[in-house]
Amino acid sequence: MSALEIRNLRKAFGGLEVIANLSLTIPFGQRHAVIGPNGAGKTTLFNLVTGWLSPSSGDIRIDGVPVGCGRPDRVARNGLSRSFQKNMLLENLTVLENLRIACQALHRSRRSLFRARTAFGEIIAKAGSVAERMNLSDCLHRSVKELSYGQKRQLEVAIALCAEPRILLMDEPAAGTSPQERGRLVSLINALPRDLTIVLVEHDMDVVFAICDVITVLSYGKLLVTGTREQVQNHPAVIEAYLGRHHA
Amino acid sequence: MRSEVVCVKDPIPGQLETRPALKVRPFVIATGVAATILALALPFFGATFAITLATEIMISGLFASGINLLVGTTGLVSLGQAMFLGLGGYGIGIGSSLLEAPLWLSIPCSLVAVAIVAAAIGAICTRTRGVEFLLITLAFSQMFYGAAIKLRLTNGSDGMSGIPRPDLSALGLSCDDPAIFYYYVLAVTAITLLVLWRIVESPFGSVLASIRENERRTAAMGYAVGHYKIGAFVLAAMLCAVAGILQSQYTYFINPDSMSWQLSGEGVLMVIVGGANAALGPMIGAAIFILVKQGLSMVTTEYLMFFGIFFMLVVAFFRGGVFGAVRSLIGARP
Repeated sequence: MSALEIRNLRKAFGGLEVIANLSLTIPFGQRHAVIGPNGAGKTTLFNLVTGWLSPSSGDIRIDGVPVGCGRPDRVARNGLSRSFQKNMLLENLTVLENLRIACQALHRSRRSLFRARTAFGEIIAKAGSVAERMNLSDCLHRSVKELSYGQKRQLEVAIALCAEPRILLMDEPAAGTSPQERGRLVSLINALPRDLTIVLVEHDMDVVFAICDVITVLSYGKLLVTGTREQVQNHPAVIEAYLGRHHA
Repeated sequence: MRSEVVCVKDPIPGQLETRPALKVRPFVIATGVAATILALALPFFGATFAITLATEIMISGLFASGINLLVGTTGLVSLGQAMFLGLGGYGIGIGSSLLEAPLWLSIPCSLVAVAIVAAAIGAICTRTRGVEFLLITLAFSQMFYGAAIKLRLTNGSDGMSGIPRPDLSALGLSCDDPAIFYYYVLAVTAITLLVLWRIVESPFGSVLASIRENERRTAAMGYAVGHYKIGAFVLAAMLCAVAGILQSQYTYFINPDSMSWQLSGEGVLMVIVGGANAALGPMIGAAIFILVKQGLSMVTTEYLMFFGIFFMLVVAFFRGGVFGAVRSLIGARP
Protein backbone atom coordinates (compact mmCIF):
# COMPACT_ATOMS: atom_id res chain seq x y z
CA MET A 1 0.00 0.00 0.00
CA SER A 2 1.21 3.53 -0.77
CA ALA A 3 1.88 6.15 1.88
CA LEU A 4 0.09 8.75 -0.16
CA GLU A 5 -2.14 8.19 -3.13
CA ILE A 6 -3.68 11.05 -5.09
CA ARG A 7 -6.09 10.26 -7.89
CA ASN A 8 -7.51 12.70 -10.46
CA LEU A 9 -7.31 15.57 -7.98
CA ARG A 10 -8.80 18.86 -9.06
CA LYS A 11 -9.15 22.10 -7.14
CA ALA A 12 -10.64 25.29 -8.50
CA PHE A 13 -11.29 28.61 -6.79
CA GLY A 14 -14.19 29.93 -8.83
CA GLY A 15 -12.97 29.96 -12.42
CA LEU A 16 -9.31 29.55 -11.46
CA GLU A 17 -8.15 25.96 -11.65
CA VAL A 18 -5.20 25.60 -9.26
CA ILE A 19 -4.80 21.80 -9.38
CA ALA A 20 -5.77 20.07 -12.60
CA ASN A 21 -6.38 16.33 -12.73
CA LEU A 22 -3.34 15.45 -10.65
CA SER A 23 -2.46 11.84 -9.91
CA LEU A 24 0.52 10.91 -7.77
CA THR A 25 1.58 7.88 -5.75
CA ILE A 26 4.25 8.07 -3.07
CA PRO A 27 5.43 4.79 -1.51
CA PHE A 28 6.45 4.46 2.13
CA GLY A 29 9.94 5.64 2.95
CA GLN A 30 10.35 7.76 -0.17
CA ARG A 31 11.85 11.25 0.01
CA HIS A 32 9.74 13.10 -2.52
CA ALA A 33 10.03 16.73 -3.58
CA VAL A 34 7.28 18.72 -5.22
CA ILE A 35 8.74 21.66 -7.09
CA GLY A 36 7.44 24.25 -9.47
CA PRO A 37 7.39 27.99 -10.03
CA ASN A 38 5.32 30.30 -7.80
CA GLY A 39 1.62 29.67 -8.34
CA ALA A 40 2.19 26.08 -9.51
CA GLY A 41 -0.20 24.81 -6.81
CA LYS A 42 2.31 23.24 -4.41
CA THR A 43 0.97 24.74 -1.18
CA THR A 44 -2.61 24.17 -2.36
CA LEU A 45 -1.70 20.53 -2.88
CA PHE A 46 -0.39 20.38 0.71
CA ASN A 47 -3.54 22.05 2.00
CA LEU A 48 -5.68 19.50 0.15
CA VAL A 49 -3.66 16.55 1.40
CA THR A 50 -3.80 17.77 5.02
CA GLY A 51 -7.55 18.43 4.99
CA TRP A 52 -7.35 22.23 5.13
CA LEU A 53 -9.05 22.50 1.74
CA SER A 54 -11.63 20.25 0.16
CA PRO A 55 -10.98 19.13 -3.42
CA SER A 56 -13.36 20.07 -6.23
CA SER A 57 -13.06 16.45 -7.33
CA GLY A 58 -10.71 13.51 -6.97
CA ASP A 59 -9.49 11.33 -4.17
CA ILE A 60 -6.66 11.52 -1.63
CA ARG A 61 -5.71 8.51 0.50
CA ILE A 62 -3.18 8.34 3.30
CA ASP A 63 -2.12 4.74 3.87
CA GLY A 64 -5.35 3.75 2.10
CA VAL A 65 -7.58 5.95 4.29
CA PRO A 66 -9.47 8.76 2.53
CA VAL A 67 -8.64 12.26 3.78
CA GLY A 68 -11.56 13.85 5.63
CA CYS A 69 -12.12 17.38 4.44
CA GLY A 70 -12.20 20.14 7.04
CA ARG A 71 -10.60 17.99 9.74
CA PRO A 72 -6.82 18.55 9.65
CA ASP A 73 -6.65 17.26 13.23
CA ARG A 74 -7.81 13.83 12.06
CA VAL A 75 -5.25 13.83 9.27
CA ALA A 76 -2.53 14.56 11.83
CA ARG A 77 -3.77 11.77 14.10
CA ASN A 78 -3.83 9.42 11.10
CA GLY A 79 -0.07 9.75 10.77
CA LEU A 80 0.43 12.68 8.39
CA SER A 81 2.06 15.74 9.86
CA ARG A 82 3.14 18.99 8.26
CA SER A 83 5.32 22.02 8.74
CA PHE A 84 4.29 25.36 7.31
CA GLN A 85 5.81 27.71 4.76
CA LYS A 86 5.51 30.61 7.21
CA ASN A 87 6.32 29.90 10.84
CA MET A 88 3.21 28.76 12.71
CA LEU A 89 4.59 28.64 16.21
CA LEU A 90 3.21 29.38 19.64
CA GLU A 91 5.32 32.52 19.85
CA ASN A 92 4.67 33.51 23.47
CA LEU A 93 5.36 30.05 24.88
CA THR A 94 8.69 28.34 25.46
CA VAL A 95 10.21 25.84 23.04
CA LEU A 96 9.51 23.04 25.53
CA GLU A 97 5.87 24.08 25.86
CA ASN A 98 5.49 24.15 22.05
CA LEU A 99 6.85 20.62 21.82
CA ARG A 100 5.01 19.38 24.92
CA ILE A 101 1.66 20.56 23.56
CA ALA A 102 2.44 18.96 20.20
CA CYS A 103 3.38 15.64 21.86
CA GLN A 104 0.28 15.79 24.08
CA ALA A 105 -2.01 15.81 21.00
CA LEU A 106 -1.74 12.05 20.62
CA HIS A 107 -1.75 11.29 24.35
CA ARG A 108 -4.79 10.26 26.41
CA SER A 109 -4.19 13.25 28.69
CA ARG A 110 -5.07 15.82 26.03
CA ARG A 111 -8.57 16.35 27.46
CA SER A 112 -7.52 16.10 31.11
CA LEU A 113 -9.07 18.99 33.04
CA PHE A 114 -7.74 18.78 36.56
CA ARG A 115 -4.28 17.16 36.44
CA ALA A 116 -1.25 19.40 36.11
CA ARG A 117 0.27 19.53 32.63
CA THR A 118 3.64 18.68 34.15
CA ALA A 119 2.26 15.47 35.70
CA PHE A 120 2.78 13.52 32.48
CA GLY A 121 6.51 12.88 32.50
CA GLU A 122 6.46 10.69 29.39
CA ILE A 123 5.16 13.59 27.29
CA ILE A 124 7.87 15.91 28.55
CA ALA A 125 10.52 13.24 27.95
CA LYS A 126 9.25 12.79 24.39
CA ALA A 127 9.31 16.56 23.82
CA GLY A 128 12.90 16.60 25.07
CA SER A 129 13.87 13.77 22.77
CA VAL A 130 12.38 15.52 19.71
CA ALA A 131 14.18 18.72 20.72
CA GLU A 132 17.44 16.80 20.90
CA ARG A 133 16.84 15.27 17.48
CA MET A 134 16.29 18.73 15.99
CA ASN A 135 19.20 20.28 17.91
CA LEU A 136 17.00 22.46 20.10
CA SER A 137 17.95 21.04 23.51
CA ASP A 138 19.91 24.12 24.50
CA CYS A 139 16.97 26.46 24.22
CA LEU A 140 14.12 24.45 25.70
CA HIS A 141 13.18 27.07 28.25
CA ARG A 142 13.55 30.04 25.95
CA SER A 143 10.51 31.80 24.58
CA VAL A 144 10.01 31.14 20.85
CA LYS A 145 10.20 34.89 20.30
CA GLU A 146 13.84 34.79 21.42
CA LEU A 147 14.91 32.18 18.83
CA SER A 148 16.81 32.92 15.64
CA TYR A 149 14.95 32.42 12.37
CA GLY A 150 16.86 29.23 11.64
CA GLN A 151 15.95 27.81 15.05
CA LYS A 152 12.32 28.68 14.42
CA ARG A 153 12.42 26.68 11.17
CA GLN A 154 13.94 23.77 13.10
CA LEU A 155 11.14 24.08 15.66
CA GLU A 156 8.57 24.01 12.83
CA VAL A 157 9.88 20.61 11.78
CA ALA A 158 10.26 19.46 15.39
CA ILE A 159 6.59 20.20 16.15
CA ALA A 160 5.56 18.18 13.11
CA LEU A 161 7.71 15.28 14.31
CA CYS A 162 6.03 15.24 17.74
CA ALA A 163 2.99 13.54 16.22
CA GLU A 164 5.21 10.53 15.34
CA PRO A 165 4.10 10.76 11.71
CA ARG A 166 4.57 8.09 9.09
CA ILE A 167 4.40 10.84 6.47
CA LEU A 168 5.96 14.26 6.94
CA LEU A 169 5.02 17.15 4.66
CA MET A 170 7.42 20.08 4.76
CA ASP A 171 6.49 23.32 3.06
CA GLU A 172 9.69 25.20 2.19
CA PRO A 173 11.51 24.31 5.44
CA ALA A 174 14.66 26.19 4.40
CA ALA A 175 12.92 29.35 3.21
CA GLY A 176 14.61 32.50 4.51
CA THR A 177 17.48 30.70 6.24
CA SER A 178 21.18 31.52 5.93
CA PRO A 179 23.47 29.02 4.08
CA GLN A 180 24.77 27.73 7.44
CA GLU A 181 21.27 27.31 8.87
CA ARG A 182 20.20 25.61 5.63
CA GLY A 183 23.09 23.16 5.81
CA ARG A 184 22.27 22.32 9.43
CA LEU A 185 18.58 21.85 8.61
CA VAL A 186 19.38 19.53 5.70
CA SER A 187 21.63 17.42 7.94
CA LEU A 188 18.91 17.20 10.58
CA ILE A 189 16.29 16.17 8.02
CA ASN A 190 18.61 13.59 6.48
CA ALA A 191 19.22 12.14 9.94
CA LEU A 192 15.50 11.34 10.35
CA PRO A 193 14.60 7.62 10.18
CA ARG A 194 14.56 6.23 6.63
CA ASP A 195 11.12 4.67 7.07
CA LEU A 196 9.63 8.14 7.46
CA THR A 197 8.07 9.25 4.18
CA ILE A 198 8.96 12.86 3.44
CA VAL A 199 7.19 15.09 0.95
CA LEU A 200 8.98 18.37 0.49
CA VAL A 201 8.06 21.60 -1.24
CA GLU A 202 11.17 23.69 -1.77
CA HIS A 203 12.49 26.33 -4.13
CA ASP A 204 16.14 25.78 -3.24
CA MET A 205 17.26 23.03 -5.62
CA ASP A 206 20.37 22.26 -3.58
CA VAL A 207 18.14 21.42 -0.62
CA VAL A 208 15.88 19.32 -2.84
CA PHE A 209 18.77 17.35 -4.32
CA ALA A 210 20.37 16.89 -0.89
CA ILE A 211 17.23 15.37 0.62
CA CYS A 212 14.98 13.82 -2.03
CA ASP A 213 15.15 10.69 -4.20
CA VAL A 214 12.18 11.49 -6.41
CA ILE A 215 10.98 14.83 -7.71
CA THR A 216 7.59 15.86 -9.06
CA VAL A 217 7.39 19.04 -11.08
CA LEU A 218 4.17 21.03 -11.15
CA SER A 219 3.35 23.90 -13.44
CA TYR A 220 0.05 25.79 -13.30
CA GLY A 221 -1.49 22.93 -11.31
CA LYS A 222 -0.52 20.28 -13.86
CA LEU A 223 2.00 17.52 -13.32
CA LEU A 224 4.88 17.93 -15.76
CA VAL A 225 7.01 14.98 -14.72
CA THR A 226 7.82 12.67 -11.84
CA GLY A 227 11.22 11.04 -11.68
CA THR A 228 14.72 10.94 -10.32
CA ARG A 229 17.00 13.95 -10.25
CA GLU A 230 18.53 13.02 -13.62
CA GLN A 231 15.18 12.35 -15.28
CA VAL A 232 13.81 15.67 -14.09
CA GLN A 233 16.94 17.63 -14.95
CA ASN A 234 16.96 16.27 -18.48
CA HIS A 235 13.27 16.65 -19.15
CA PRO A 236 12.80 19.34 -21.83
CA ALA A 237 9.51 20.62 -20.41
CA VAL A 238 11.06 21.10 -17.00
CA ILE A 239 14.11 22.84 -18.39
CA GLU A 240 11.87 25.20 -20.23
CA ALA A 241 9.37 25.76 -17.41
CA TYR A 242 11.45 25.83 -14.32
CA LEU A 243 15.03 24.71 -13.89
CA GLY A 244 16.79 26.54 -16.67
CA ARG A 245 19.98 25.42 -18.32
CA HIS A 246 22.13 25.80 -15.20
CA HIS A 247 20.91 22.50 -13.76
CA ALA A 248 20.55 20.74 -17.08
CA MET B 1 16.00 36.73 33.84
CA ARG B 2 17.96 35.31 30.93
CA SER B 3 20.86 34.34 33.14
CA GLU B 4 18.52 32.31 35.31
CA VAL B 5 17.16 30.24 32.45
CA VAL B 6 18.07 26.61 32.89
CA CYS B 7 19.06 25.03 29.58
CA VAL B 8 18.73 21.29 29.67
CA LYS B 9 20.72 19.18 27.27
CA ASP B 10 19.69 15.72 28.36
CA PRO B 11 16.04 14.81 28.03
CA ILE B 12 15.59 13.59 31.57
CA PRO B 13 11.98 14.05 32.66
CA GLY B 14 12.81 15.33 36.12
CA GLN B 15 15.11 17.99 34.75
CA LEU B 16 12.87 18.99 31.90
CA GLU B 17 10.05 19.74 34.30
CA THR B 18 12.25 22.26 36.05
CA ARG B 19 11.18 25.75 35.15
CA PRO B 20 13.46 28.74 35.40
CA ALA B 21 13.87 29.50 39.08
CA LEU B 22 12.14 32.70 40.08
CA LYS B 23 13.48 34.93 42.79
CA VAL B 24 9.97 36.30 43.15
CA ARG B 25 8.41 33.12 44.51
CA PRO B 26 8.78 34.18 48.19
CA PHE B 27 7.26 37.56 47.26
CA VAL B 28 4.29 35.89 45.56
CA ILE B 29 3.75 33.51 48.49
CA ALA B 30 4.01 36.35 51.01
CA THR B 31 1.51 38.42 49.02
CA GLY B 32 -0.88 35.47 48.79
CA VAL B 33 -0.67 34.79 52.54
CA ALA B 34 -1.18 38.49 53.34
CA ALA B 35 -4.19 38.69 50.99
CA THR B 36 -5.74 35.57 52.54
CA ILE B 37 -5.29 36.90 56.10
CA LEU B 38 -6.71 40.27 55.02
CA ALA B 39 -9.71 38.64 53.33
CA LEU B 40 -10.46 36.45 56.35
CA ALA B 41 -10.00 39.25 58.87
CA LEU B 42 -11.86 41.99 56.98
CA PRO B 43 -15.25 41.49 58.73
CA PHE B 44 -13.53 41.85 62.12
CA PHE B 45 -12.17 45.34 61.51
CA GLY B 46 -13.92 46.60 58.38
CA ALA B 47 -17.10 48.68 58.33
CA THR B 48 -20.22 47.19 56.72
CA PHE B 49 -19.56 49.41 53.68
CA ALA B 50 -16.11 47.86 53.24
CA ILE B 51 -17.54 44.34 53.61
CA THR B 52 -20.24 44.90 50.97
CA LEU B 53 -17.68 46.53 48.67
CA ALA B 54 -15.38 43.52 49.05
CA THR B 55 -18.36 41.22 48.36
CA GLU B 56 -19.12 43.12 45.15
CA ILE B 57 -15.45 42.94 44.12
CA MET B 58 -15.37 39.16 44.56
CA ILE B 59 -18.58 38.64 42.57
CA SER B 60 -17.40 40.93 39.77
CA GLY B 61 -13.97 39.31 39.90
CA LEU B 62 -15.53 35.90 39.45
CA PHE B 63 -17.52 37.18 36.48
CA ALA B 64 -14.35 38.69 34.99
CA SER B 65 -12.49 35.42 35.59
CA GLY B 66 -15.12 33.64 33.50
CA ILE B 67 -14.58 36.18 30.73
CA ASN B 68 -10.82 35.80 31.08
CA LEU B 69 -11.00 32.07 30.36
CA LEU B 70 -12.23 33.08 26.90
CA VAL B 71 -10.36 36.36 26.37
CA GLY B 72 -7.04 35.77 28.10
CA THR B 73 -6.62 32.02 27.96
CA THR B 74 -8.28 31.10 24.66
CA GLY B 75 -8.06 34.41 22.79
CA LEU B 76 -11.81 34.73 22.13
CA VAL B 77 -13.16 38.20 22.95
CA SER B 78 -16.83 37.92 23.85
CA LEU B 79 -19.34 40.69 24.47
CA GLY B 80 -22.06 38.28 25.56
CA GLN B 81 -20.94 36.80 28.85
CA ALA B 82 -23.46 38.81 30.89
CA MET B 83 -26.06 36.58 29.21
CA PHE B 84 -24.76 33.68 31.33
CA LEU B 85 -24.51 35.82 34.45
CA GLY B 86 -28.19 36.62 33.94
CA LEU B 87 -29.10 33.02 33.13
CA GLY B 88 -27.44 31.88 36.38
CA GLY B 89 -29.41 34.47 38.31
CA TYR B 90 -32.69 33.68 36.56
CA GLY B 91 -32.04 29.96 37.02
CA ILE B 92 -31.91 30.27 40.80
CA GLY B 93 -34.74 32.84 40.66
CA ILE B 94 -37.05 30.48 38.80
CA GLY B 95 -35.91 27.46 40.80
CA SER B 96 -35.91 28.80 44.32
CA SER B 97 -38.08 31.90 44.19
CA LEU B 98 -40.80 30.80 41.73
CA LEU B 99 -40.83 27.02 42.13
CA GLU B 100 -39.66 27.18 45.76
CA ALA B 101 -37.08 24.44 45.26
CA PRO B 102 -34.28 24.26 47.83
CA LEU B 103 -30.98 25.93 46.91
CA TRP B 104 -29.06 22.64 46.91
CA LEU B 105 -31.30 21.63 44.00
CA SER B 106 -31.86 24.90 42.18
CA ILE B 107 -28.18 25.92 42.05
CA PRO B 108 -26.90 22.71 40.34
CA CYS B 109 -29.94 22.67 38.04
CA SER B 110 -29.27 26.27 37.12
CA LEU B 111 -25.62 25.50 36.32
CA VAL B 112 -26.52 22.45 34.25
CA ALA B 113 -29.10 24.48 32.30
CA VAL B 114 -26.49 27.18 31.65
CA ALA B 115 -23.99 24.54 30.48
CA ILE B 116 -26.54 23.11 28.01
CA VAL B 117 -27.48 26.54 26.65
CA ALA B 118 -23.78 27.52 26.45
CA ALA B 119 -22.93 24.32 24.55
CA ALA B 120 -25.65 25.06 21.99
CA ILE B 121 -24.66 28.72 21.60
CA GLY B 122 -20.96 27.88 21.72
CA ALA B 123 -21.33 25.36 18.90
CA ILE B 124 -22.50 28.22 16.69
CA CYS B 125 -20.33 31.07 18.01
CA THR B 126 -17.03 29.16 18.01
CA ARG B 127 -17.30 28.59 14.27
CA THR B 128 -16.36 32.26 13.98
CA ARG B 129 -13.38 34.21 15.29
CA GLY B 130 -12.23 37.78 15.94
CA VAL B 131 -14.80 40.52 15.40
CA GLU B 132 -17.36 38.01 14.10
CA PHE B 133 -17.16 36.07 17.37
CA LEU B 134 -17.55 39.27 19.36
CA LEU B 135 -20.62 40.30 17.36
CA ILE B 136 -22.35 36.93 17.39
CA THR B 137 -21.96 36.63 21.18
CA LEU B 138 -23.32 40.16 21.48
CA ALA B 139 -26.29 39.19 19.26
CA PHE B 140 -27.11 36.13 21.39
CA SER B 141 -26.81 38.22 24.54
CA GLN B 142 -29.25 40.81 23.19
CA MET B 143 -31.62 38.01 22.20
CA PHE B 144 -31.70 36.67 25.77
CA TYR B 145 -31.94 40.20 27.13
CA GLY B 146 -35.00 40.78 24.95
CA ALA B 147 -36.52 37.48 26.02
CA ALA B 148 -35.99 38.30 29.71
CA ILE B 149 -37.88 41.57 29.22
CA LYS B 150 -40.78 39.97 27.33
CA LEU B 151 -41.30 36.65 29.09
CA ARG B 152 -43.86 36.27 31.85
CA LEU B 153 -41.71 33.54 33.40
CA THR B 154 -38.97 36.09 34.17
CA ASN B 155 -41.49 38.73 35.22
CA GLY B 156 -40.50 41.04 32.37
CA SER B 157 -38.54 44.20 33.04
CA ASP B 158 -39.62 44.17 36.71
CA GLY B 159 -37.41 41.16 37.28
CA MET B 160 -37.65 38.59 40.05
CA SER B 161 -37.26 39.37 43.72
CA GLY B 162 -37.01 37.28 46.88
CA ILE B 163 -34.04 35.22 45.71
CA PRO B 164 -32.92 33.33 48.80
CA ARG B 165 -29.49 33.20 50.39
CA PRO B 166 -28.24 29.96 51.95
CA ASP B 167 -29.98 28.94 55.15
CA LEU B 168 -27.32 28.59 57.86
CA SER B 169 -29.73 28.69 60.81
CA ALA B 170 -28.62 25.18 61.81
CA LEU B 171 -25.21 26.71 62.56
CA GLY B 172 -26.79 29.62 64.36
CA LEU B 173 -25.79 31.96 61.53
CA SER B 174 -27.75 34.11 59.13
CA CYS B 175 -26.61 34.90 55.61
CA ASP B 176 -28.58 38.15 55.86
CA ASP B 177 -25.69 39.37 57.98
CA PRO B 178 -23.28 41.08 55.50
CA ALA B 179 -20.27 39.52 57.22
CA ILE B 180 -21.65 35.98 56.98
CA PHE B 181 -22.69 36.49 53.37
CA TYR B 182 -19.19 37.87 52.72
CA TYR B 183 -17.66 34.62 54.01
CA TYR B 184 -20.07 32.60 51.87
CA VAL B 185 -19.03 34.56 48.75
CA LEU B 186 -15.37 34.31 49.78
CA ALA B 187 -15.63 30.51 50.07
CA VAL B 188 -17.42 30.12 46.72
CA THR B 189 -14.95 32.49 45.03
CA ALA B 190 -11.90 30.72 46.49
CA ILE B 191 -13.16 27.25 45.46
CA THR B 192 -14.17 28.43 41.97
CA LEU B 193 -10.84 30.18 41.37
CA LEU B 194 -8.98 27.10 42.57
CA VAL B 195 -10.90 24.94 40.10
CA LEU B 196 -10.30 27.51 37.35
CA TRP B 197 -6.58 27.60 38.14
CA ARG B 198 -6.40 23.80 37.92
CA ILE B 199 -8.16 23.88 34.54
CA VAL B 200 -5.86 26.57 33.14
CA GLU B 201 -2.78 24.65 34.34
CA SER B 202 -4.08 21.31 32.99
CA PRO B 203 -3.35 19.75 29.57
CA PHE B 204 -6.77 21.04 28.47
CA GLY B 205 -5.74 24.54 29.55
CA SER B 206 -2.51 24.30 27.60
CA VAL B 207 -4.50 23.46 24.45
CA LEU B 208 -6.59 26.60 25.02
CA ALA B 209 -3.36 28.61 25.28
CA SER B 210 -2.18 26.97 22.07
CA ILE B 211 -5.43 27.98 20.34
CA ARG B 212 -4.90 31.56 21.54
CA GLU B 213 -1.37 31.56 20.17
CA ASN B 214 -2.09 29.89 16.84
CA GLU B 215 -5.35 28.14 16.07
CA ARG B 216 -4.16 26.75 12.73
CA ARG B 217 -1.04 25.23 14.23
CA THR B 218 -3.08 23.71 17.07
CA ALA B 219 -5.34 21.96 14.56
CA ALA B 220 -2.30 20.79 12.58
CA MET B 221 -0.91 19.24 15.77
CA GLY B 222 -3.97 16.98 15.90
CA TYR B 223 -6.37 18.81 18.20
CA ALA B 224 -10.06 19.13 17.35
CA VAL B 225 -9.93 22.88 17.93
CA GLY B 226 -13.70 23.36 17.68
CA HIS B 227 -14.37 20.95 20.55
CA TYR B 228 -11.88 22.69 22.81
CA LYS B 229 -13.34 26.10 22.01
CA ILE B 230 -16.83 24.86 22.87
CA GLY B 231 -15.44 23.38 26.10
CA ALA B 232 -13.87 26.73 27.02
CA PHE B 233 -17.10 28.52 26.12
CA VAL B 234 -19.15 26.24 28.40
CA LEU B 235 -16.71 26.50 31.32
CA ALA B 236 -16.57 30.29 30.98
CA ALA B 237 -20.38 30.43 30.89
CA MET B 238 -20.61 28.33 34.06
CA LEU B 239 -18.17 30.61 35.86
CA CYS B 240 -20.23 33.64 34.84
CA ALA B 241 -23.37 31.79 36.00
CA VAL B 242 -21.80 31.20 39.44
CA ALA B 243 -21.18 34.96 39.61
CA GLY B 244 -24.80 35.53 38.51
CA ILE B 245 -26.11 33.26 41.27
CA LEU B 246 -24.05 35.11 43.90
CA GLN B 247 -25.06 38.49 42.45
CA SER B 248 -28.77 37.65 42.58
CA GLN B 249 -28.40 36.36 46.16
CA TYR B 250 -26.46 39.50 47.10
CA THR B 251 -29.26 41.80 45.88
CA TYR B 252 -32.09 39.23 46.47
CA PHE B 253 -33.08 40.25 42.96
CA ILE B 254 -32.47 39.64 39.27
CA ASN B 255 -33.68 41.70 36.31
CA PRO B 256 -32.83 41.94 32.59
CA ASP B 257 -30.18 44.62 33.22
CA SER B 258 -27.90 41.88 34.50
CA MET B 259 -27.83 40.55 30.91
CA SER B 260 -27.00 43.87 29.28
CA TRP B 261 -24.09 44.17 26.89
CA GLN B 262 -22.74 47.04 29.01
CA LEU B 263 -22.14 44.58 31.83
CA SER B 264 -20.28 42.27 29.42
CA GLY B 265 -18.22 45.27 28.32
CA GLU B 266 -17.39 46.14 31.92
CA GLY B 267 -16.26 42.55 32.45
CA VAL B 268 -13.91 42.72 29.46
CA LEU B 269 -12.59 46.04 30.77
CA MET B 270 -11.86 44.47 34.16
CA VAL B 271 -9.90 41.71 32.43
CA ILE B 272 -7.87 44.19 30.37
CA VAL B 273 -7.17 46.50 33.30
CA GLY B 274 -6.28 43.70 35.71
CA GLY B 275 -4.32 41.67 33.18
CA ALA B 276 -5.55 39.02 30.77
CA ASN B 277 -3.94 35.60 30.86
CA ALA B 278 -3.14 35.93 34.58
CA ALA B 279 -5.06 33.99 37.20
CA LEU B 280 -5.53 36.94 39.56
CA GLY B 281 -5.67 39.62 36.85
CA PRO B 282 -9.49 39.70 36.58
CA MET B 283 -9.89 39.89 40.37
CA ILE B 284 -7.43 42.80 40.53
CA GLY B 285 -9.20 44.41 37.56
CA ALA B 286 -12.57 44.06 39.31
CA ALA B 287 -11.15 45.62 42.49
CA ILE B 288 -9.69 48.57 40.57
CA PHE B 289 -12.86 49.00 38.51
CA ILE B 290 -15.19 49.05 41.51
CA LEU B 291 -12.95 51.10 43.79
CA VAL B 292 -12.18 53.74 41.14
CA LYS B 293 -15.85 53.97 40.16
CA GLN B 294 -16.86 54.27 43.81
CA GLY B 295 -14.10 56.75 44.64
CA LEU B 296 -14.72 59.01 41.65
CA SER B 297 -18.50 58.98 42.12
CA MET B 298 -17.98 60.40 45.64
CA VAL B 299 -15.82 63.25 44.30
CA THR B 300 -17.71 64.33 41.20
CA THR B 301 -21.00 63.72 39.44
CA GLU B 302 -19.09 63.66 36.14
CA TYR B 303 -17.19 60.62 37.32
CA LEU B 304 -17.74 58.66 34.08
CA MET B 305 -15.58 61.13 32.14
CA PHE B 306 -12.64 60.72 34.56
CA PHE B 307 -13.33 57.05 34.69
CA GLY B 308 -12.83 56.84 30.91
CA ILE B 309 -9.58 58.83 31.07
CA PHE B 310 -8.29 56.58 33.85
CA PHE B 311 -8.90 53.43 31.83
CA MET B 312 -7.38 54.91 28.70
CA LEU B 313 -4.22 55.62 30.69
CA VAL B 314 -4.16 52.11 32.14
CA VAL B 315 -4.60 50.51 28.72
CA ALA B 316 -1.99 52.83 27.16
CA PHE B 317 0.71 52.40 29.79
CA PHE B 318 0.08 48.93 31.25
CA ARG B 319 -0.15 46.66 28.23
CA GLY B 320 -0.30 43.51 30.33
CA GLY B 321 -2.72 45.16 32.74
CA VAL B 322 -1.88 46.10 36.30
CA PHE B 323 -0.97 42.51 37.15
CA GLY B 324 1.37 42.38 34.16
CA ALA B 325 2.99 45.65 35.21
CA VAL B 326 3.59 44.36 38.74
CA ARG B 327 4.98 41.15 37.28
CA SER B 328 7.43 43.08 35.08
CA LEU B 329 8.39 45.27 38.01
CA ILE B 330 9.41 42.32 40.14
CA GLY B 331 11.01 40.56 37.19
CA ALA B 332 8.76 37.54 36.94
CA ARG B 333 8.11 35.67 33.73
CA PRO B 334 4.52 34.98 32.59
